[in-house]
Amino acid sequence: MPKSMSVVREAIAADVGDEPVDAMAEGAAAGQDRAGRKILPIVEGVVLVAALVAPLLLQDYLTVFATRVIILALFALSFDLVWGYAGIMSFGQALFFGSAGYGVALLARDLDITNIFLVLPAGTMIGLAFALLLGGFLLLGRHPSSVIFVSLGTLTGSYAADRLARGWYYLGGQNGIPSIAPMTVGSYEFSEGPAFYYLVLGILVVVYLLCRYLVRSQFGLALAGLRENEQRIAFFGYKAQHLKAIIFAIGGAVAGLAGSLYAFHEGFVWPNMVGVVVSTQVVLYVLFGGSGTLIGAVIGAVIVEGVSFWLSDNYREIWPIILGVLLLLVILFRPLGLISFVLGERERVGSFGGTPKESKKEKRNAAP
Amino acid sequence: MANAFVAAFEILSFGAIIVLIVLGLGIIASMMGIFNFAQGEFVLLGAYITYLAYAKGLPIWTGMVAAPFVVGALGFVLEALIIRRFYAAPIVAMLGTYALGLIIRESVRGLIGGFYLTVPEPIGGSIDIGAMHISAWRFTIIVITLLVMAGCYLLLSRTSFGLRVRATLENPALARASGISTPLIYGATFAFGAALAGLAGALIVPVFSLFADLGLRFLIQGFVAVMVGGVGSFIGPVAGAGVIGTLSAALPWVIAPVVADVLVFVLAIVFIKFRPQGLIAGKGV
Repeated sequence: MPKSMSVVREAIAADVGDEPVDAMAEGAAAGQDRAGRKILPIVEGVVLVAALVAPLLLQDYLTVFATRVIILALFALSFDLVWGYAGIMSFGQALFFGSAGYGVALLARDLDITNIFLVLPAGTMIGLAFALLLGGFLLLGRHPSSVIFVSLGTLTGSYAADRLARGWYYLGGQNGIPSIAPMTVGSYEFSEGPAFYYLVLGILVVVYLLCRYLVRSQFGLALAGLRENEQRIAFFGYKAQHLKAIIFAIGGAVAGLAGSLYAFHEGFVWPNMVGVVVSTQVVLYVLFGGSGTLIGAVIGAVIVEGVSFWLSDNYREIWPIILGVLLLLVILFRPLGLISFVLGERERVGSFGGTPKESKKEKRNAAP
Repeated sequence: MANAFVAAFEILSFGAIIVLIVLGLGIIASMMGIFNFAQGEFVLLGAYITYLAYAKGLPIWTGMVAAPFVVGALGFVLEALIIRRFYAAPIVAMLGTYALGLIIRESVRGLIGGFYLTVPEPIGGSIDIGAMHISAWRFTIIVITLLVMAGCYLLLSRTSFGLRVRATLENPALARASGISTPLIYGATFAFGAALAGLAGALIVPVFSLFADLGLRFLIQGFVAVMVGGVGSFIGPVAGAGVIGTLSAALPWVIAPVVADVLVFVLAIVFIKFRPQGLIAGKGV
């Protein structure tokens, strides 16, 4: 399709062309970079400390809310991997989130399996399997798929799953599956509260560190190249489509893990969880926080959910309108998200694969 | 026989509605390369304007006539202020128009509340053919859809405006060099697409009643139809809309509605995967 190809090419040209402007806008932050100060570890540390002490300061019902936010941050991480690092617009990330939620809900309802060491891997596997299926279908093949096809394909998949969940009696139809039994370790039950909070936080930190390692590895370098200029990466001899399918599957697995935690935390699953609403919500988180930085996704989820929780008492009606306006402003004027206020372009792009000397050598090998 | 006829009429009328909604979406996608996520909300606005006219005690048809002009004007303004910045990047355009759509949808939701508001049909009653009765308004929608389709086709293929639009689509740089004001053409095309959505909303509101998610319901179906038909021409998306509309209306008569609903999307995505250029490939009209 020549039309879409030229569109893609223009997009890439625009991406590349945008960068110097962004870099200029970040003049102040870039100056700090040169001074040798790293902002990213500081931001990450502050967020971690805040997350650790939060339950001590918050009231019980707020801890429950904070747990939900942490789970959604994990979900946001999965989308950030796919969009922020590999440039695949997945408008259907909720498909993996929700189907894993439904999967573990069915395990708990029909087979009485609630052991944490069974349900969480099961949920992750469900997310992985769905992502492999959908990603494999959309991304692989003789002809590379256009970005538009992938984004609309994932969107359609999510929408179709929503309709299926609504109409399928076995999955509870419109009402979903209510009152899921709590997760267990032996005889201990994880109910809402500080224990669940620290469990989820621990999982988030582990997944975050794994993702951090992944995106700073040689694999991450190839992904970044893919995002910036897919054709050039393909000319270097990388199998661009395979790389995309792999990161899409990893994203799906993380979304599945988040979805199974969400199902057990809320105690029910309902069709919206696989649908377009949640799919677009996660896009909002990442765009707000800053795509292409892992911590940006986490911060975005916390800010969007936090402000929406705070405003929902008085301004429930107009909050979505404000959200829309803010999103538009971010897209127009801060395409790298809120994190770009403190984070320089150079640090966002970062370095890859260990020490610079070593990575240079490996790069030469990887690109014959 | 009578049943088969009624079924055929139902399928035809739903197909016409989908075609009507996809027309604007298809023109914007084909001529400008933008998948406009706010298109569903333009449909919603058209419906809302019609409802407003009805609520103010004006004849309903005045609302229906006003809707395309108001929504078209809004489209022109939005293009000049916002959409214009997105031309280079299709994904950013999707996100930006999604944000726009969110703003419009939630504003309308704030105005009408969570209700389903009904608007009566301007042409009520039914047309009787022997023992068979078909809804007069649905019949009118089919007729108007055919007229609008013919009008759009003639506009794009026979007028000098259409020539300029096609020239801008084919080769923007050459069009600019030939003295065509491409920004103006893009603005007019976007406004035209928005106006068509407004008209669609105005016409379908008596059938579906007014609720905030009215546009969203058709948006994804519309996108799928555009992709199935083929981006780049006028006739492609229309053909795609015909196929998708007919399938979504016809399949529930054959298999369980839940399965049919999902099957249409699955079939469409598989089709696009193996024929990315769509039913009708090529540029132009």
